[in-house]
Amino acid sequence: MWGQALGKIAQTLVVLFVVSVASFGLLKLAPGDPIQIMLGSEYSQEAYESLTAELGLDQPFLAQYADWAVRFVQGDWGTSYVARTDIFTYAFKEALPVTLTLASFSLAFAILIGVPLGVLSAVKKDTAFDAGAAVLALTGTAFPSFLLGILLIWFFAVKMQLFPVMGYVSPWQDFWGGIYHMILPGLTLSTYFIAMITRLTRATLIEVMEQPYIAAARARGEPSWRVIWVHGVRNIAMPLVTILGLQLGVLLQGTVLTETVFNLPGIGQMLTSAVLGREYMVVQAGVMMTATLFIGVNLLVDLSYPFLDPRLRARK
Amino acid sequence: MTKVDHKKVLAERLSARFGRRAVLKGMGAGLLTAAASTGAPGIARAQQSGHLKIASIKVIDTLDPHFTGFLSAIQIINNIHNGLLKIAYDGTNVSFEPDLAETWDLEDDKTHVFKLREGVMFHDGTPCNAEAVKFSLLRVKEGEPKSPHAWKLALLDEIEIIDDLTFKLHFSQPYAFLPVALNGSTGRAGTIVSPAAVQKYGADYGRNPVGTGPFKFVSWRENDAIELEANTEYFEEGLPKLERVTFVLMNEASTALAALMAGQIDGMTDCPMQLVDQVDAFPNATLYGEIEGNYTFVGMNCARAPFDDINLRRAVAWALDRETLVKQAYFGRAQQAYTPISPPMTDFFDPNIATSGRGQWFDLEKAKEFRAKAANQGEVEVTYMMAERGPVGTRVAQTVAPMLAQIGIKANLELIEPAAWVKRRNEGDFDLYDFEWVADLDPDETLYPEFRSDGAWNFGKWINTEFDELCAQAQVVLEPEARKELYYKAEDLLMDEAGIAVMAHMPIYKVFSNKVQGFEYIPADLVNLHTVSLA
Repeated sequence: MWGQALGKIAQTLVVLFVVSVASFGLLKLAPGDPIQIMLGSEYSQEAYESLTAELGLDQPFLAQYADWAVRFVQGDWGTSYVARTDIFTYAFKEALPVTLTLASFSLAFAILIGVPLGVLSAVKKDTAFDAGAAVLALTGTAFPSFLLGILLIWFFAVKMQLFPVMGYVSPWQDFWGGIYHMILPGLTLSTYFIAMITRLTRATLIEVMEQPYIAAARARGEPSWRVIWVHGVRNIAMPLVTILGLQLGVLLQGTVLTETVFNLPGIGQMLTSAVLGREYMVVQAGVMMTATLFIGVNLLVDLSYPFLDPRLRARK
Repeated sequence: MTKVDHKKVLAERLSARFGRRAVLKGMGAGLLTAAASTGAPGIARAQQSGHLKIASIKVIDTLDPHFTGFLSAIQIINNIHNGLLKIAYDGTNVSFEPDLAETWDLEDDKTHVFKLREGVMFHDGTPCNAEAVKFSLLRVKEGEPKSPHAWKLALLDEIEIIDDLTFKLHFSQPYAFLPVALNGSTGRAGTIVSPAAVQKYGADYGRNPVGTGPFKFVSWRENDAIELEANTEYFEEGLPKLERVTFVLMNEASTALAALMAGQIDGMTDCPMQLVDQVDAFPNATLYGEIEGNYTFVGMNCARAPFDDINLRRAVAWALDRETLVKQAYFGRAQQAYTPISPPMTDFFDPNIATSGRGQWFDLEKAKEFRAKAANQGEVEVTYMMAERGPVGTRVAQTVAPMLAQIGIKANLELIEPAAWVKRRNEGDFDLYDFEWVADLDPDETLYPEFRSDGAWNFGKWINTEFDELCAQAQVVLEPEARKELYYKAEDLLMDEAGIAVMAHMPIYKVFSNKVQGFEYIPADLVNLHTVSLA
């Protein structure tokens, strides 16, 4: 058990190292110069050189990378070139909670809407309801989230004035305010996942419902809600969790557009402006956090299997 | 030019600024400030009310006036700081009025004497006196790291302090650009910052700005908001009117517009041209915007083939159908440009330029004549680099390309990312591109650094030493009529040799909900909120 865990951690570190070199290198290779962007058009060559030297951007690539990596590991994530903010505070304490809140809301929506919809589709297989849900799911997968976000804003926020257009309120400080501000962005980001979970739940549940243990449960005379929700749904938990873990990347990717449309100060917006401004160290911080998040969640998924499936628990 | 003439000319040119009224007004404010600081601040505080929320769409790099390169940052900086001078606008004329300065006189054509308002304090409680001004000007001129605006004070030889509130600026030559350089807005070099705060925060001053302005800086949350609160001891009587201002930092203009319509915010510091029709149709908001001090152009790389050929460049300049460009690329909102000098430069812009025969305009016959003289008579294939940047993105490039096809130039549109675009432009790695120089109030800043032979912004490398000389001469002539002649000659050279193909002067828009009252529009992309109140 310990050996396995250590192995996983070592793997994680190697992956993070590769990710950090790749993102650092790619951004450096991309044409564009942070100093030119910072100084706008009105600057002299002297100002350019003095700033380049001050920020250490005149150093060779490997020296810059090594310098960054050593400090990063020590918790010194550096200062952003333009805004001169402490990157650790900005990325970890300010942006990350926003994105985590958005991602959790979307996941919650996806599960709370997707699973019941999928179960109902499976139970009412080949009815009008099932067909309707299928159409909805297909639309959901195909619909671009930024367009959906704008449509939701126009309808619910501008026309109906039911929800705020934009902005972030921390649910830890103001719980209801936080939820209120997260409903539209959460819904926007989760459409794809609602659709995916609906289809997945339907497909796996139909398969599960044909298993002998379901027939046995029915034969025992258990009420049909119990047969479906307890015996059936419990057995689709494993594929569901696996897919969710693997699709987390898509979710994080979706936060970029959703955060822009709803003006949420999260990692997505942070990364977008950092990439456009060639803020190498901010990009690094964002990439490292998302990579860690992705790997961490998939580790949790692996670890959750024994809880979801008793057959996988170690026998003593 | 005699010494006496000179003084008279400048005094006239700076017209309203040193009038008796201005002086009295300045003194009145000084008295008020003194009264407010000794009296109960609670009473002064009661004058302010309302919390304005306004969306800021573009990038804010820093709130340090001496280092920012972005107008969107200046919009906020100008609410926190003051300059020695400020820009005033009466609906037709742009002028420069004293701001922190109470009087400004010329001892001779190279020596300027300033007297500051009395009793003005920075937000940190330190006095804004001659020492503080000297500190700020030197910070721009020779501070470390180097300010990008240092060149604006390159001719400044010495700052001589006479007494606590009086100082003299000695220049090595007469300096006509000075009023623009010394205002706290687009010039930036004359924005006065608190020396104590600069010493305290160092390089982090841009995140902790301390000025003398109507609003104090409170906080800046990245990608979220910048908060300001009223400076209850501001030197202008009865101002500011608002208690609090929040600049909501946004990337997406359409979201900002939706938030404005839903009443979540009260305005936008910038309204892109493509959204103007929607704002017009919305009854609860007012649009502010006029043609500002800018010009857009198609830049050609004069340093390499094929646009090292003057006749090919001339063909391009005459082949652009400006009317169509204004309609298609600028949503019908811009104004055709004949030369770079733009309408808000009221001493220099010719309102009848369209019939004056000066500049460039659309004449396909003429374009074809020039094309026939070009060295390369076959089809010329060139790269037109474009990016999703600027006020209208790639629309200009897409409208221009078919116009060039008519004169046998095949423009391959290459879409690149903005950072790469900037790099390639600065390195001169292009055949064609389009760009805009914005927020200029003086012909010097609109022509000279952009097109002088060794200019850092002369990306197209158009070289003409006669042009350089004319501009250099105009810098040291203070009389507007004489300066105008020199700039017209310089412009004529640029237009005739087609260093660029000039296209349009653009309007710059701001939007406020109808609850917002008292906004004073200035055609230099400013959002000064000291007179604004909420109904």
